[in-house]
Amino acid sequence: MIPPVQVSPLIKFTRYSALLVGMIYGKKRYDYLKPIAEEERRIEAEEKKKREELERIAKELAEASEDSILK
Amino acid sequence: AEPAVCRRRSPCPLLLSSLPAAVAYSKPRLATFWYYAKVELAPPTPGEIPKAIDSMKAMVRSFQSGRLAQLTVREALRNGLVATEVLMWFYIGEIIGKRGLIGYNV
Repeated sequence: MIPPVQVSPLIKFTRYSALLVGMIYGKKRYDYLKPIAEEERRIEAEEKKKREELERIAKELAEASEDSILK
Repeated sequence: AEPAVCRRRSPCPLLLSSLPAAVAYSKPRLATFWYYAKVELAPPTPGEIPKAIDSMKAMVRSFQSGRLAQLTVREALRNGLVATEVLMWFYIGEIIGKRGLIGYNV
């Protein structure tokens, strides 16, 4: 087998510092996005509850107002 | 004694009975990978860091002295490829930091 290439220390240093910087960036961005997503989910759940309430009221009104002898 | 995922579909590629064959196949290849990775993918030892800083300074000086005009296209392309590879390590670090392969699982 051909012997392994001796990588220059500059390239090794920049590679691993890029790796470290990437890890820190990923962690920071995750921590930033997490509360925003939770807030959105909370708002979505509230809106859904309100919508379902309105739909339930509308359905009951519709059922009460339709009169047919076929029921 | 097959893993649970095999009970639902057939033919199943995850048979435990094929494990010794898989190990026998991958052992020599892992050995070659390790042989090269020990030298090429190893992190810089603390003694190499001043050498790296020196090469960085030499690079800056060579840019200032106008050696940029003497670069061949082939050398420039090679340097570009190396720089791209170094940049990709940043994205791999980001994958590790956000603990997910695609997208942020918030």
